[in-house]
Amino acid sequence: MSFFDDLFRRVPALLMARRNLSRNRIRSGLAVLGIIIGVLAIASLGMFGTTLRTGADQQLGEIGNEISISPNLQEGVEELTDRDVDEIERAVTDGEVVPLRSESALVSRGQQQTVATIYGMENPGALYEAQEGRVPDRLRQGALVGSGTAEILDVEPGNTISVDGRTYRIAAVLAEEQGISLVSPNNAVVVPLEDVNGTGYSQVVVSSDSGQAANESAVAIRESLNERDERVNVFELQAITQGIDQFFGIINTFLIGIGSISLVVAGVSILNVMLMSTIERRQEIGVLRAVGVQRGDVIRMILAEAGLLGVAGGVIGAILAVGAGVALNSFVLNDPLATFQPVNFLYILLAVGFGIGTSILSGLYPAWKAANERPVEALRK
Amino acid sequence: MTHIIELQHVWKRYDTGGEVVEALKDVDFYADPGEFVSVMGPSGSGKSTMLNVLGLLDTPTEGTVLLDGQDVTDLSDHEMTTQRKQFVGFIFQSFHLIPTLSALENVEVPTLFGDDPSARERATDLLERVGLGNRLHYRPDQLSGGQKQRVAIARALVNEPRILLADEPTGNLDRKTGRSVLDLFDEIRREDDVAVIAVTHDPQLGEYADRTVQLVDGRIQ
Ligand SMILES: Nc1ncnc2c1ncn2[C@@H]1O[C@H](COP(=O)(O)OP(=O)(O)OP(=O)(O)O)[C@@H](O)[C@H]1O
Ligand SMILES: [Mg+2]
Repeated sequence: MSFFDDLFRRVPALLMARRNLSRNRIRSGLAVLGIIIGVLAIASLGMFGTTLRTGADQQLGEIGNEISISPNLQEGVEELTDRDVDEIERAVTDGEVVPLRSESALVSRGQQQTVATIYGMENPGALYEAQEGRVPDRLRQGALVGSGTAEILDVEPGNTISVDGRTYRIAAVLAEEQGISLVSPNNAVVVPLEDVNGTGYSQVVVSSDSGQAANESAVAIRESLNERDERVNVFELQAITQGIDQFFGIINTFLIGIGSISLVVAGVSILNVMLMSTIERRQEIGVLRAVGVQRGDVIRMILAEAGLLGVAGGVIGAILAVGAGVALNSFVLNDPLATFQPVNFLYILLAVGFGIGTSILSGLYPAWKAANERPVEALRK
Repeated sequence: MTHIIELQHVWKRYDTGGEVVEALKDVDFYADPGEFVSVMGPSGSGKSTMLNVLGLLDTPTEGTVLLDGQDVTDLSDHEMTTQRKQFVGFIFQSFHLIPTLSALENVEVPTLFGDDPSARERATDLLERVGLGNRLHYRPDQLSGGQKQRVAIARALVNEPRILLADEPTGNLDRKTGRSVLDLFDEIRREDDVAVIAVTHDPQLGEYADRTVQLVDGRIQ
């Protein structure tokens, strides 16, 4: 209380403003409600955009860091050769090159059986991590089983399975890949390369640490392998993830734009409230001017009123927006804490700033009008 | 001794779309510190207009206004407001208190915008002096007419003005309350050497005034 007393002593415009607002609580309340809705709309729509993007990012996983090179069948290239792999390895400066062959086959253990994708690769460690057991650097014997397949067959490391008639001891069950992957391990079995029929490779995957490195590799590989003719197709997901990012950026801007419209409406309602209240207080303002209150102080007083409406609406709106964000994120992402990302605070700050800005802007005209009325006119009944 | 306020050949014309109304016609007027001047005249004769010019609330169309010997006719709005705050106290017929503020806060209003640490003390003293020491925190709607007028008087005095301007100060009060307000004016101009200029229809005000000026149709008689 004494803090406010002190504040009011120092900023008398605030005292007058607060008293004036409490004069017609319902009207002030409705004006604040308008700002609350506007701020809530901007902030929660912004956060909604973040949630969508986070969800999509989770789905996409690290896909942007991988590129896939496959033979260009249209040009008559059936498979990639060891020479191609050498060239790829030379072109890639940052990232691991994993050549592989794949086919579909029946996998069984006792009575249980299922059809799985069989990947033959030498260095699966570059792509996969184990959930149980260990992924060897070089796969010479044994098999790695994807989590989905392992579940169907009810196996764990140490068990044996049969793939297409051959028997393998399971070295590891692979960790489940949550997002999209070029060579998803979930419903697959990884076996040594030479166990899959064929001479060349059906695909080469390059796994890098970043999307940028992946992109650089893709450019270098195209330059070196497709110099004379289009020998290979280089499939790059970074372009897609960038596109998706851009898409969500547009959605976000669009959502915030919609939110802003409601703030404009709130601004008009504040303009209306302030205009009415200054017209009602015409005589009072005339008295203020007569007893020596300067024009500038009258303007400050009315702007303080508009500002207070904005601050009240902004603060309440921000609190509600955080609540809405927590609800949304626990519903969509199952993670309420996802609300508290820096970018979301930016949206809230933006919304509150817009709210206060709109209020003060709406107070400008009434303030100017009230301050410029001649006190003699205002005091005539 | 210079007059605290003086009008020289003051004209005030209003252009009401075609017809020009002359509210003040070549008015010469002055008041000295400690003097009680009453201004009388029929309705529409220009009394309020003259008071507004005296209080630097309005500017004359022609002529000169001297405040404490200084020509203040052509000051900017900001300077006029500053001079008004320093020299002039206004008392209005319908009190014009601010309904959301307490009696004490109403008296403080003229001091509010500006650094004035002793304002609260002065305001309290003044309210005690006008007999409202036990009503400091009442809002205007909790006060009687006479009490409101006394709050208005305290407000007019809080900046220690040299001139007190009152437009029909007793018009809304009964005879007895009116008399007590006039007694207060009398006390103020004696003790504080303030020039009191009051517009009135009230004949009992004549008993208090040192001098009565008659205004008829914009001219001093
Ligand atoms: N803003 C204005 N525009 C046009 N005419 C005006 C204006 N203000 C005052 N007048 C005219 O000036 C004349 C004097 O007005 P003023 O208010 O000074 O009279 P008054 O003596 O105070 O009357 P009353 O005793 O009724 O209060 C009147 O004829 C009035 O119509
Ligand atoms: Mg009048």
